Amino acid sequence: MQPLVIMKDVKKQFPGVTALDGISFDIMPGEVHVLLGENGAGKSTLMKILSGVHKPTDGQIIIGGSEFTALTPKDSRSCGISVIYQELSVINELSIQENLFVGNLPVKNIGPMKIVDYKKMREATQMLLGKVGLRKDPETAVEELSISEKQQVEIAKALAADSRILIMDEPTTSLTSSEVSHLFAVIRELKKEGHGIVFISHKLGEIMEIGDRVTVLKDGRYVGTKKISDVTQDDLVTMMVGRQISKNYQHPSADYSDAPVIFEVRNLSRKDGKVKNVSFKLRRGEILGFSGLVGSGRSEMMNSIFGAEPKACGEILIDGKEVRTSAPFYSIKSGLAMVTENRRETGFFHNFSIKKNISVLPFIKQSSFAGITGLVSDKNEDIWADEQKKNLNIKCYSTEQGITELSGGNQQKVILGKWLAADSQIIIFDEPTKGIDVGSKGEIYALMRRLADEGKGILVVSSELPELLAVCDTIAVFREGEIVAVFPHKEATEEKIIAASTAEKGEGNRP
Amino acid sequence: MNANNKIGNSTFAFKTAWQRYGTLGILILLLTILAALKPGYFFQPSTVTQILSQSSVNILIALGEFFAILIAGIDLSVGSVTALSGMVTAKLMVAGIAPLPAVILGILLGAILGFINGILVNGTGLHPFIITLGTQAIFRGITLIISDSSAIFGFPASFTTFMAKRFIYIPVSAFIALVAALVLAFLTNKTKLGRNIYALGGNKESAWYSGINVKLHTLIVFIISGICAGIAGAVLLGRVGSAEPAAATGFETYAIAAAIIGGTSFFGGKGKIFGVVMGGLIIGVINFGMNLLSVSSTLQQVVMGALIIGSVTLDRFVAGNK
Repeated sequence: MQPLVIMKDVKKQFPGVTALDGISFDIMPGEVHVLLGENGAGKSTLMKILSGVHKPTDGQIIIGGSEFTALTPKDSRSCGISVIYQELSVINELSIQENLFVGNLPVKNIGPMKIVDYKKMREATQMLLGKVGLRKDPETAVEELSISEKQQVEIAKALAADSRILIMDEPTTSLTSSEVSHLFAVIRELKKEGHGIVFISHKLGEIMEIGDRVTVLKDGRYVGTKKISDVTQDDLVTMMVGRQISKNYQHPSADYSDAPVIFEVRNLSRKDGKVKNVSFKLRRGEILGFSGLVGSGRSEMMNSIFGAEPKACGEILIDGKEVRTSAPFYSIKSGLAMVTENRRETGFFHNFSIKKNISVLPFIKQSSFAGITGLVSDKNEDIWADEQKKNLNIKCYSTEQGITELSGGNQQKVILGKWLAADSQIIIFDEPTKGIDVGSKGEIYALMRRLADEGKGILVVSSELPELLAVCDTIAVFREGEIVAVFPHKEATEEKIIAASTAEKGEGNRP
Repeated sequence: MNANNKIGNSTFAFKTAWQRYGTLGILILLLTILAALKPGYFFQPSTVTQILSQSSVNILIALGEFFAILIAGIDLSVGSVTALSGMVTAKLMVAGIAPLPAVILGILLGAILGFINGILVNGTGLHPFIITLGTQAIFRGITLIISDSSAIFGFPASFTTFMAKRFIYIPVSAFIALVAALVLAFLTNKTKLGRNIYALGGNKESAWYSGINVKLHTLIVFIISGICAGIAGAVLLGRVGSAEPAAATGFETYAIAAAIIGGTSFFGGKGKIFGVVMGGLIIGVINFGMNLLSVSSTLQQVVMGALIIGSVTLDRFVAGNK
């Protein structure tokens, strides 16, 4: 069989840095070729060369027999290449069918005039939606769809443009596990029809499930291409990071049942019903994880505990004393911290340096009235930033550097650094490693354990079960705003947790 | 990608230098051009006086506007606030109240008008553009009502002589603007309040999660803007010698232009007081220069508009912000 695309010895030089150093890559019809590597390994650059965004410095691209030294975005499209980015590019204000055919609307003639042929568009859309398994009316406005449905629209759009090659850049990041299995079903259908799929992902479990071959990149260099059936997850990790990362971060013989309770939530409820009468305790040294489907109320609960969103009733206790958490300012004063799910939206300040991102928190915490009184101290600022740089191993050449210049893992460390600089006692992590590469994930997990050992209270919300299983001593399962099951680390398995989070009401172990 | 992070050091150094001193460079360039074109008129001490005196009001208003833009908002009402607080100050003085308390009350009124803007923005959740577009008309209307649409003059001599004073060709109004700029530079660089305002401008959500009271800071920002416009109102009285109901009409445009030319990001979170002062002086020099070169006032508008677009385009191009 002839490959759909062959990239031979592709090099890409940016001023001062080699982003790709002689990468070869090909895509066969009917296969899912996984592209794997840490952030900065060169995956996105390679795919941007294929989609015509970047011109390669050297190398060859052969698509369907024709040879190119560089592609323009137009070449790329006409060769049948479509990219489905993490940030979806659907137009929210338009209907599904308009999204599919925007720029290429089917027309019919009425006398001398050409008008849009809505009937034809509708039929074609229905056919394409059938292929991607989206049961929606073609005239539904895209803004009414969920993220996974929008992604299906995006795939249908690629099919509408007659694409043979689909590049999916971390397509499962924002999906729940049932949505992921749905996506995989669609991918399998596309394979049957002979499409070639490039699948970029950090999630090894998914890769093992959906991939046929895998190519690993590291620091812009080609590490190797393997058949998925010939490798294990450990092999892939070794290829990616060049070292084995240990699997678990719990202390094997630890027992926290007699340790003092350092944090407690009693009867927490929200007006919108997303959290219903939740109570739990956290003991010194223990890491408590919260599992559950997206929308089960975990993040909402954390936001209410932290005071970022209102709660209807409930008590928050630190070291046995009730604390005021009616707004983040008061929670911070009480020693609470929250590492939020979206670094860019709710975590850091893009206009600030690393140093200023760290100092903003201790400055506010030390201030008496609403965080606005007092002067900024350059000396303290330097001390805090240097301390956290060392403490968390933040990789930067200077703490004056802009935070947007850092990798996701290092940005996350800066955010954690700001909470530690303010001497926070209880730290809530909401999806702590979202969009972070495997190597940095391990570092973050080790940090969480170290902080717990030092006596900080650690709460973790995560949609990635392996993450919770690797880090948490206790895992609570959330469903429809309630804790429906609690598993000690030793008894917890993916199967049990999934069963508890998807079970009908009334099932599962009550805490 | 990593690739974009590692730009050559020389580019980086140039960028930093441009961000810090680019506007100063433009100002010097403009002055040089003027000096070359009209050496006879330019090299006179009164030139300094004229430029500074013309720029002071604009700089004062722009200093307040800067904060509104810094939180990714805007304050379109500054011209009307200047007019209304100037009008009230004038009426108080004419009614026999001593200049100093009258001016202080006028500035206080500016603060109250800013407070109203802030409360409306916080309460409605609407964009400051809409709120201040409304209050711009309301405050102007009130100015017209209380003045009966006619000018007020006949201030005490102590006020007019003080405002006309000069120290080595530098007018009092320039000192007032300088003090305001220094106080606000201290606020932005050295206080937690200032740091929080930058944080809020960069990312409202992150600010909230970091314990910053978003509404309180928004309110403070609009009060600062109102106070600056209030001071500008008093300074304008001293310069013109009367309170006109249509005073400072359209001054918000110059204030916004000064802030933007001075490097304030329209998306919030970035900008310096020094830049705003430079921006205000640049506009003052261009106005002065065009008068010197006998450019018609209608054409001056065209030049000013082109300058705003040109300078911001240049800045984005040089800074390489996407």
